[in-house]
Amino acid sequence: MPSRPTLSHALRLLALAAALAAALPARADDYTDVSQLVRNGKLADALTKAEQYLATKPRDPQMRFLKGVIQTESGKTGDAIQTFTRLTEDYPELPEPYNNLAVLYAGQNQYDKARTALEMAIRTNPSYATAHENLGDVYARLAGQAYSKALQLDSGNAAVAPKLGLIRDMFTPAQAATKGAKPAPAAAPATPAAPAPAPAAAPAAPPASAPAPAKAPEPAAKPAPAAEPVAPTPATALAPTAAAPNPAEKDVEAAVNAWAHAWAAKDMAAYLGAYGKDFDAPGKLSRKDWEKQRRDRIVGKASISVKLSNLSIKVDGNKAEARFRQDYKADALSVSSRKTLHLVKTGERWLIVKESTGA
Amino acid sequence: MAPTCRAPARARRFFCSMSLQVCMGRRLSSFLLIAALACASLPTAAAPPPARKAAPAARQPTAPARDGQAENRLIEAYRLVGQGRRREALAHTERLVRDYPQFQLAQLLYGDLLATQVRPGKAVPGRPEASAPALNELQQEAQLRLQALRERPPPGTVPAQFLALAPSARHAIAVDTSRARLYLFENGPHGPQLVADYYVSVGKQGVEKAAEGDMRTPLGVYFIGSNLDPKSLKDFYGAGALTLNYPNPYDLRRGKTGSGIWVHGTPPEQFARAPQATDGCVAMANTDLARLLRTVEVRSTPVVIARQLQWVAPQSLQAERQAFTSQLQAWQQAKRSGDLQRLLAFYASDFASYDKSLADWTPVLQREVHKLQGRNFALKDLSYLRWSDSADTMVVTFGEVAEGARTGPVKRQYWLRQGGGAWKIFFEGVIG
Repeated sequence: MPSRPTLSHALRLLALAAALAAALPARADDYTDVSQLVRNGKLADALTKAEQYLATKPRDPQMRFLKGVIQTESGKTGDAIQTFTRLTEDYPELPEPYNNLAVLYAGQNQYDKARTALEMAIRTNPSYATAHENLGDVYARLAGQAYSKALQLDSGNAAVAPKLGLIRDMFTPAQAATKGAKPAPAAAPATPAAPAPAPAAAPAAPPASAPAPAKAPEPAAKPAPAAEPVAPTPATALAPTAAAPNPAEKDVEAAVNAWAHAWAAKDMAAYLGAYGKDFDAPGKLSRKDWEKQRRDRIVGKASISVKLSNLSIKVDGNKAEARFRQDYKADALSVSSRKTLHLVKTGERWLIVKESTGA
Repeated sequence: MAPTCRAPARARRFFCSMSLQVCMGRRLSSFLLIAALACASLPTAAAPPPARKAAPAARQPTAPARDGQAENRLIEAYRLVGQGRRREALAHTERLVRDYPQFQLAQLLYGDLLATQVRPGKAVPGRPEASAPALNELQQEAQLRLQALRERPPPGTVPAQFLALAPSARHAIAVDTSRARLYLFENGPHGPQLVADYYVSVGKQGVEKAAEGDMRTPLGVYFIGSNLDPKSLKDFYGAGALTLNYPNPYDLRRGKTGSGIWVHGTPPEQFARAPQATDGCVAMANTDLARLLRTVEVRSTPVVIARQLQWVAPQSLQAERQAFTSQLQAWQQAKRSGDLQRLLAFYASDFASYDKSLADWTPVLQREVHKLQGRNFALKDLSYLRWSDSADTMVVTFGEVAEGARTGPVKRQYWLRQGGGAWKIFFEGVIG
């Protein structure tokens, strides 16, 4: 899992399924725009846009949250703390602002405050994996401080403040609270900064990817109208390794690209048709329930973009494994993750039998 | 003054040879295990130390200044750990370190409890290696504190050294160095009663001081000399210092050297010090020392420092007390008789009162006898403190008040039991 090893040091950015879209469809574009600007590093523009929005809707939690993220990214820690603190006062039921407050406090070595904030986040949402993860880091730091005091060591030189996972987008509590069993969901991390975030990583092994509905990585979507040419042009995205891939690899590559296209285009027939009937649906869902879930998750999105890169394919007889990096954007959510598809040749087609996220 | 116990400018230096080691793996802290085991056998009633005179019920919910309180709270946390109630233990310990941030043992437990909250496989920065010297010292401190609370002196008993305390002596102190514990007694009509006891640190090289600079704490019967004004002391000594009269006449007789043995506090950065940390002094937490500073009297308060105190029922000392009283009365009779030779028979041939030999001392005795002119005299406020090591000694203090007089000098004698069982005086002096 690429992103985990550096947990305590690398910025763990967890972009959670944004999907406030459902609740506030009309605003989705504004959020998306601001998020996009943040992602592209245009923090000043993002802030301007957020402020404009807030001028008319000063209490809007989602935009205030984004503003806090922008301030955090801009290094305006004091402002960011203020923004998130006010959010916790106005919307004490939302865990994300608490989490991000904790990130900021931890960055200042104020671990007691960070701990309190994280405990609040967990109180509002007990299955909040990011907060649990961050709390673990904070406990480790507090323990380290206590040990230093116990042994009378200079804690001053001890350690660089840990980077905890900052949440970039809010999602509704309802979504977060999904199945208790899999805490993973909540934490679909997309670490922009770090190269290969393993989203659903920690949790369940193989099927993890698909299941995590709300959060997860799998998006599908249609090319965002305006900008990005969503359509993953296979050519670009997939450039396989060597010069002359063998024919089977080419077929697998085509199948994978078709799958991504269908997803982004919200072409449910083609998308679901890319999965073989032996597909190992995640989370012990029946095929029927899984299909319904995918429909619910995909059709409701205003826009979906799926881009694949670093594709590598291994073919062994009638079996194939395709590994790639998937950049998924849907409305305000943006998740980058590693994905592996296992395919089996059935007749003339390569069909997906297993889908997993993570390295 | 040049106390033996003058310490390095920063106590911290003591620990500095240790390097910070970061342990990557997760292992259950060995310390936590020890604590849990130790507590399993800790009787529930043991933790609260002996009832002490409650200070006027001033309710101070967060007042950390009470003597003994920090230890009680630590022990309570251990008990919670021992019962598997780690969440409560964590909350409890968190409050403890907030009130006593310099209490290293509490910080260690706090670190351990926090570390148990960290996901396995994740590093805890700064977690000490099990072999770290400073960690071992803390573990010893914990063991000693627990042991002293588990193995309480039987109720109503007193150290065997307290053969008889003067009625005017309001307090007495005994230190058991094997338990790193100082016991405070209040003396009253029913004899000495244990009212409090505290963890203490002794010399780096242990006990039985013999020579200057040997970094050992002396063993013997001492008295508090003066209560030094903390303003005149370095921060290192904490809340203050009580001086002890090391070397006493028995020490001098045996050629022991050194000086400046004090009972003092701890530096600002340490709530308590390691069990063996001083240059020979007895060091204790400032909150605990503060109680001594408030309550004990200079000059009359005895301080017995023993490797291991022997706790006995006061009645069991009766026979010995009477036997020695007879001995003392015989001396009194001889002195009163005016027969100098008879009186001198009570004095050891190698008698020494500071720089005076028996020959030098004889004229002094002669003058005293002459002055009495056969009048009787009373021994007021008698105290006998017995000290036995390779020899049997008795430290006797009394006011010598002649018939018809209202007051008289306070004298102290050191008696040594001879081969045949007879006691002889090897030191005598006026102390007030």
